Amino acid sequence: MAGSLSRGRRYVLLLLLLCGFGVVLFRLVTLQVLQAAVLSAQADRQHQKTVSLEGARGTIVDRHGKILAMNVEVPSVFGVPNTVDSPLKTARQLSPILHVRTDELERKLRQDRRFVWLARKLDPEQGRRLDRLSLDGIGVVMEGRRFYPKGPLLAHVLGFSGMDGEGLEGVEHRYEPYLHGEKRMMVLQRDALGHTVFPKGMMERSPTPGHSLTLTIDEVIQYIVERELEDAVGRARAKSGTMIVLDPKTGAVLAMAVSPRFDPNAVSALSRDRWRNRALTDTYEPGSTMKAMMAAAAIEERVVRPNTMVFGENGHMMVANTVIHDHERLGWVSFAQVIQKSSNIGAVKTGMALGEQRLYRYLQAFGFGQRTEIDLPGEGAGLVSNPRDWGRRSIASISIGQEIGVTPLQMVSAVAALANGGVLMKPYVVSEIRDAEGQILKQIPPQTRRRIVSPETARSVTKILEGVVTDGTGGKAAIPGFRVAGKTGTAQQIDGDTKTYSTSRFVASFAGYVPSDIPRLAMIVIIDEPQDKKASGGSVAAPVFSRVGEQVLSYLGVPSDAPITLAMASRR
Amino acid sequence: MKTLTVFLGLCLVFVFVWERVDVVRIGYQIERLKRDKTVLERQRDELRVKFSTLSASDRIAKLATEKLGMSLPQQGQIIVVQSRPRPSGVHPSGIALVELKVARNDLPSGRF
Repeated sequence: MAGSLSRGRRYVLLLLLLCGFGVVLFRLVTLQVLQAAVLSAQADRQHQKTVSLEGARGTIVDRHGKILAMNVEVPSVFGVPNTVDSPLKTARQLSPILHVRTDELERKLRQDRRFVWLARKLDPEQGRRLDRLSLDGIGVVMEGRRFYPKGPLLAHVLGFSGMDGEGLEGVEHRYEPYLHGEKRMMVLQRDALGHTVFPKGMMERSPTPGHSLTLTIDEVIQYIVERELEDAVGRARAKSGTMIVLDPKTGAVLAMAVSPRFDPNAVSALSRDRWRNRALTDTYEPGSTMKAMMAAAAIEERVVRPNTMVFGENGHMMVANTVIHDHERLGWVSFAQVIQKSSNIGAVKTGMALGEQRLYRYLQAFGFGQRTEIDLPGEGAGLVSNPRDWGRRSIASISIGQEIGVTPLQMVSAVAALANGGVLMKPYVVSEIRDAEGQILKQIPPQTRRRIVSPETARSVTKILEGVVTDGTGGKAAIPGFRVAGKTGTAQQIDGDTKTYSTSRFVASFAGYVPSDIPRLAMIVIIDEPQDKKASGGSVAAPVFSRVGEQVLSYLGVPSDAPITLAMASRR
Repeated sequence: MKTLTVFLGLCLVFVFVWERVDVVRIGYQIERLKRDKTVLERQRDELRVKFSTLSASDRIAKLATEKLGMSLPQQGQIIVVQSRPRPSGVHPSGIALVELKVARNDLPSGRF
């Protein structure tokens, strides 16, 4: 009896034990298997704090490898408020180093937060002084800070990046996917009491830097362009200025400048108006520079030849109840002289002979009314309306560069096409993308868009445009020892109040190329609203073309292709 | 025999411990070198920025004109000529023959 009771007790005991183990096993499976992921994440949240840091941003260099933008690792300081014993004392020690007010630092260190930035992207020396202090609850982490060592040079093309390292404008924005480095998540460990345990290696470099970009820009050419443009805008007391230099064979942008300039190292206080790249965002009525393209279209379509005689109507002609004026009373002149003297009447007659549809077709072929697709953000398409929307006067207006809106980049691309034997190239500013080890990941070759006119037509137009400089309105664009082809433009601007052409506000421009037989440079100079009412493209913009052209050709070692005369040598 | 076995055993333990200590020592050395490398790379980057800032064209031009009294050449003072050696080769004097595309009579006397 006793034995059976004992056995019964043993079974009960065994059952109880099994139940107990079953409960433990069930709980174990629940915690370790069924709820494992949730609980693990919860535990991580309790004893870890994750901070996101960006990797080093890629470097931007000019075509000769000169640094235009690069990242340097600089210290950023953070606090862990719940581990700071005396926020006031700590704030007093930090204030003179961080150049932040004591009360502001103290307020941050008293916050009920586990992590707070105290100051970011400081100078390296400030970081070294902080290291020597070695304060409890204060940590230093290295972050990439963007430096533009050339200051304002090329700022409108480079753009700039924000505090968190993201590209906000220009090349920095357009090539963000290549430039940005890998994001690094820094994990701060906390103990059971919630105290932060600084992990090892906090001062290590950010991982996986971004790719580097090689631009087509030449730093020296860019400097020459910016210096001369700033000088011209200042002398003309103009509102702004724009200049672009292209290699006509490839479409590579050698320089692109906007005046006034800005410093991308200190951009926070500036308005968008200041850092907008007007060379490709703003449209303007080109005025007489458009006659070069109109001439190419008319010669290609055999509407005229350079020696075709055109009657200048003695300076006045009525078109659709509007009088078209010339600044010079012309009688019978050759078509070449129409362009060289910048005759509006001759151009209008030629445009009308060409006809609306053909004129529109060539405007499109030269790239007006559509983006050039340059690798920069914010490009405008310009304004070219369809012939069905044109008024009675439109063909006359468009023939002389009115009723049409173009960007400076479109205009210089069109002129470069004439320099390139009639072939339009796509403009571009980035030629290579390299990884952090310097290996080429991508090479961007020149891209041909289309042939617009034949090489013979391009040569004829070049001869005519050479005459603009030797015998016409563009005399001040001449460069001693070189044959220059180009066209002046002085376009009135629309008055916002009267909706008519202003008599005081205008855009003076010169677009051309040099040396004209084997062109190395295609350039456009635009001076917006010079104060002198008598200023013109020939008097304000052409001299900039000449000065820049001479210096750049000398820098590139391009030999003279024309005799130098004493008159030219002593022109200035 | 027994003594030899104990001795060999001790030797093995000693080698094992020695190896572990060495691994730890080299590990520390690697860490220290990594830190040094990081610091040097940071210094290199700082110097690259400094070099790039100091070699900016506008700074050099400013120094040249304001401190050294230099000036930009006036228009027409720069003439680039194409160097084109004759088929026979270089002149015996060693000077490459050049073809001047400049009308010599037009050059200002005494300046070139």
